[in-house]
Amino acid sequence: MSTPSHEMGRKDASFEREPARRVFASELRECRYQFKDGEDEKSPTFVLLPTGERCNRVFIVGTLTEKQRQGDQNMFYRGRVVDPTGTFFIMAGSYQPEAMQQLAKIETPAFVAVIGKPSLYRKDEASAPMISIRVESINIVDKETRDLWVLDTAERTLDRIEAFAEGTGRDVVKAKEQYPTIDPVTYRKIAYDALSQVKI
Amino acid sequence: MDFSEAADRISRKFQKSGQTIDQKKIEGKLRRLIEEFGVQPAEAERSVTNELNKEFNIPLGGSGGSAGSGGAGSSGTAEKKIADAAPGEWVTIEGKIVALAAPASPAIAQSGVIADDSGAIRFVAWAKANAPAMTQGSWYRIESAVVDEFKGIASLKIHSGTTIKEIEEDRALMPATTPISELRPGIGSIRAKVVQEWDASHERMLQSGLLGDETGTIKFVIWKEPGKESLAPGSVYNIFYAQVDEYNGRLSLNLNTAMVMQEEGDIAVNGGEAAVSGAIVHVAPGSGIIKRCPVEGCNRALSRQNYCPVHEIQPKFTYDLRIKGWLDDGEKTHSVLLQRDVVESLTGISLDAAKEIAENNPLGMDEVFLQMRDKVLGRYITCHGREIDNRVLVNKCEPVGFESEKHTALLNRAGGAS
Ligand SMILES: [Zn+2]
Repeated sequence: MSTPSHEMGRKDASFEREPARRVFASELRECRYQFKDGEDEKSPTFVLLPTGERCNRVFIVGTLTEKQRQGDQNMFYRGRVVDPTGTFFIMAGSYQPEAMQQLAKIETPAFVAVIGKPSLYRKDEASAPMISIRVESINIVDKETRDLWVLDTAERTLDRIEAFAEGTGRDVVKAKEQYPTIDPVTYRKIAYDALSQVKI
Repeated sequence: MDFSEAADRISRKFQKSGQTIDQKKIEGKLRRLIEEFGVQPAEAERSVTNELNKEFNIPLGGSGGSAGSGGAGSSGTAEKKIADAAPGEWVTIEGKIVALAAPASPAIAQSGVIADDSGAIRFVAWAKANAPAMTQGSWYRIESAVVDEFKGIASLKIHSGTTIKEIEEDRALMPATTPISELRPGIGSIRAKVVQEWDASHERMLQSGLLGDETGTIKFVIWKEPGKESLAPGSVYNIFYAQVDEYNGRLSLNLNTAMVMQEEGDIAVNGGEAAVSGAIVHVAPGSGIIKRCPVEGCNRALSRQNYCPVHEIQPKFTYDLRIKGWLDDGEKTHSVLLQRDVVESLTGISLDAAKEIAENNPLGMDEVFLQMRDKVLGRYITCHGREIDNRVLVNKCEPVGFESEKHTALLNRAGGAS
């Protein structure tokens, strides 16, 4: 690629937004490791993708199949968004009133685009960590946008698998430590299957 | 500013000594000094008079003299300011050696950059000219040199007929900097910020990357040489007397001859035309229909209460459309600002339709925001426009369409060897 190797380090305070990663449900579901980059209270938190990339935010497109309102005092919504590889669990609470209103309004099933922050939680001490996405924004989209997302996400996933194989990905070492039993090559098959489900 | 009066005074002075000088030419010289270089008018008038005196061999401060003699010694080589030295001319100049470069071949005794207060030019002293070696930082009078041009770059050739005399001068030269978009091949001085640093593509290369200012960006290179230091990404520098080279129609800067001084300020860099593709992942407040200040030249967005930060309450505002948001490709997030006609074509909501909603819907302007957000959030689009400090001012945009070739290529890539 012809892009420069280092983007400049910005001196001024202007805020560098964390990119929204493209990741299929079946890969995100495998995340078990979460870390902070920096000591600061405001330092971003990342989940580590098994393909060796940190992820503070995701952009997903899929079918909202279910949603339910929960809680009384602290009302929030849960939902399930399905892509060709599996299911994302999303939630929107009163700290994101706009996202919650949007989610409340959408009738299932519908194609939706979701921008949000993945985080790990446990139901209780004994259970395995689960990952869910705190919704920042959600919107109804069309099928073409869903298809574009599958292409986009397959491409980004294949990029990460290659960077993993070459050892050039930023968090490859960490991923090998944290996920010793996962071979990222399995996600290539998953990307292929996802692409195959897109009908022209 | 009117230069005709001063030009008239000057031309009358020369008429006394029998010279007719094009008044437009005098005006041009005055304008250049006053407008481009910020010289005081009286000083400019004096300087142009002196320049013409020298050009016509009139002794300073008087008429009479040897006008038009054209003696053998100075055989018609015109005394020039460096900026006025045109290719093909024999010239006499006075200037300061601001850089010396390692000679590129044994035929060359010395090469570098010589400057005066009008500009700077590369020079080459041929070995067979047997000219005295010049020292960096000293001033010289160089008589009867030839201005040559190669690949659009002027340089001063010092040959056996040239005489060089060191002169007493200790003026500090403060070169005027040029906007990056106005650089021409030759020697240039700029004030710029290091916006990118690239991997060295050559083992002799110390650093390469991109410098930018408010008008554009330019590639730069520094070759390894004793005493050369890398620039710090994100920092602003004054760069005097860099070599501006042209290759395949694109300019680049070689900083090895340049004086480079870091400074504290910042620059809003214009990154030139950019095209970015991705998904809209955020539509910021302040998008949709907005009211603008009607005061001529202001155009600021007004608050809900029709309040301009400069012109206070403006009940006769004008309406406008814009979308501020983030376009994200999965690796990088670009800040984008969509202007009115782009918003209209992307959302299908015209300014008139938006006005209608804003004035009649119970939610008013918020309703326009919501409708527009629903039409763009999560959509894949490609934006074209000028990029200034990581924000793309979008003047054209189109939705990304599904490409079956790309689909096939990805299937092949995913299904390939494993
Ligand atoms: Zn105003």
